[in-house]
Amino acid sequence: MSWRNELLAVWAVTLRNALMGARNVFFFFELLFWPIVGVLSIGLMSRFLELTEAQASFVLVGTIALSVVNVCQLEVAYAVLLDVWSKSLKHQFLAPIGIRHLTLGSWVVGMVRSLAVFVLLAALGRWAFGFHVLQPGWFALAMFLLGCFLTAWVVGVAVCALITLFGNRAEAFAWATVNMVLVLAGIYYPISVLPDFIAAIARAIPLTYFLDAYRSHYGFASEFRAPIATGLALSALYAALAHWAFLAAIQRARRTGLLLKMSE
Amino acid sequence: MVSSLGMLAIDARDVEKTFRSGWPRRRETQALRGVSLTVERGAIVGVLGPNGAGKTTLLSILATLLTPDRGTVMVLGHDVVREAGALRRRLNMASGRPSFLWSLRVAEILAFYGRLYGLSGATLRRRVDGLIELCELGPYRRIPYSDLSTGLKQRVALAKSLVNDPELLFLDEPTLGLDPDVSVRVRAHIARLRREQGITIVLTTHYMREADELCDEIAFIKGGRILARGTPGELKRQIRLGEVIALRLDPARVPWLSEIPGVLRCVEVDGWVECTVDEAEKRLPELLRALHTDGVVIRNVQVREPELEEVFVELAK
Repeated sequence: MSWRNELLAVWAVTLRNALMGARNVFFFFELLFWPIVGVLSIGLMSRFLELTEAQASFVLVGTIALSVVNVCQLEVAYAVLLDVWSKSLKHQFLAPIGIRHLTLGSWVVGMVRSLAVFVLLAALGRWAFGFHVLQPGWFALAMFLLGCFLTAWVVGVAVCALITLFGNRAEAFAWATVNMVLVLAGIYYPISVLPDFIAAIARAIPLTYFLDAYRSHYGFASEFRAPIATGLALSALYAALAHWAFLAAIQRARRTGLLLKMSE
Repeated sequence: MVSSLGMLAIDARDVEKTFRSGWPRRRETQALRGVSLTVERGAIVGVLGPNGAGKTTLLSILATLLTPDRGTVMVLGHDVVREAGALRRRLNMASGRPSFLWSLRVAEILAFYGRLYGLSGATLRRRVDGLIELCELGPYRRIPYSDLSTGLKQRVALAKSLVNDPELLFLDEPTLGLDPDVSVRVRAHIARLRREQGITIVLTTHYMREADELCDEIAFIKGGRILARGTPGELKRQIRLGEVIALRLDPARVPWLSEIPGVLRCVEVDGWVECTVDEAEKRLPELLRALHTDGVVIRNVQVREPELEEVFVELAK
């Protein structure tokens, strides 16, 4: 396949997801309502508990990360979910489309949507609680967002694999998996407070390192030696594993007939 | 790898497929039990059979949507398992129960699939416009898929199946649930596709008239096995259903007709007496002579082959 055709296939998925998203009022709800509720409730709680500015920043970073990762990973999961809901999965896999086109195309839309969520929450955080996302500088912010996007991509592709493996019943994974990952990654707390065996799992999650690196600019000493490099390396490893799992799940669905069952 | 059988669009041999389901008790359903099928390039072949016979499973394997458990399947010279990627560019499929993303408009659906097949810019626009015109979807090009009627959805599916200019087209019950006038137009369109573009077409249908009208050859499948294969005429002869001599008589009822040698049975249908005979050419003069001798007035006579539907009923028993 030529580069032109590769890009066209990715663009086809990007455009499809963007059009579907733009025409669904619930997608906007998902984009705005929960993220705003999250930042407001956590921000107000930090005020009630009289947290220091640094502590409030710590939890608000977690709240914003949660929204950004959630919105982005759900969009990646839509690569399969939209076709499962509309029962058009067989048409998609009858065409010469690879999983890379599906996951990259929907990831692009996910990044745009979650970037919009981030800008909105950053403005809200600044206005309501004096939290400044650019305090650590542009590079640190870019690495933090990249970490969120990469984590969302990996989780989204893993969710696609689970749905393709178990069928419609596995839809709940799309909403549940990411929250489990976020809880383990130390979304509102440093992972040093976790029990040892859970902390070991947390150290295997890329987002843990990106959160750690970004929060270090708000006065919290980093728990890791090279958090960004470690986060990037882990993301690359998991992205490869998730794509392999997705591919294997599709091959299995072609073998068991699940691909057709999900289209009827 | 390109097969040496250049004239064959499909060469499937001893294909087996078993579905397993249920937990903890596994249930096994043998969908295909050693199916072999060859289809020449440019032909229209019908795969007929009762529900659960294995028609859709066979089509899905040929279209790379399912992998076979056993057997070899070469389609357009490609192995359907090892060379599925290359093959997918050259075939397409439309189903009688189509589904596409609900919010996308007709033109957007066609453009989405067109891009997956490498079309872009003016070429993509021309192809989408051409298919919309061909399938009479002009007034609906900006209508979301979920707002279309069943017939229009099927036309979208047909248009989508042509977006990559396929060499081989699978049509799974293409006129299911369509109004008769739309069905006639869809059938005419299928025939035109083969005539003008030389597309090889494999279709499944429950409408025997459709199969009789469109197909060069028919494979009758039941219980995962191909039971009979041939042209519609060959199939009718193959299962020895005989021929039908239909008579409009006065008086309308002649009880002794079925006692004439060579007459297999006689039934009354809408004022006609339909006599199934072993050989019409031989029995018609004998019947007419006997009726004339008995003073029965013969108002009309027709000789016809049995309907394909009767063949289907006979094979499905």
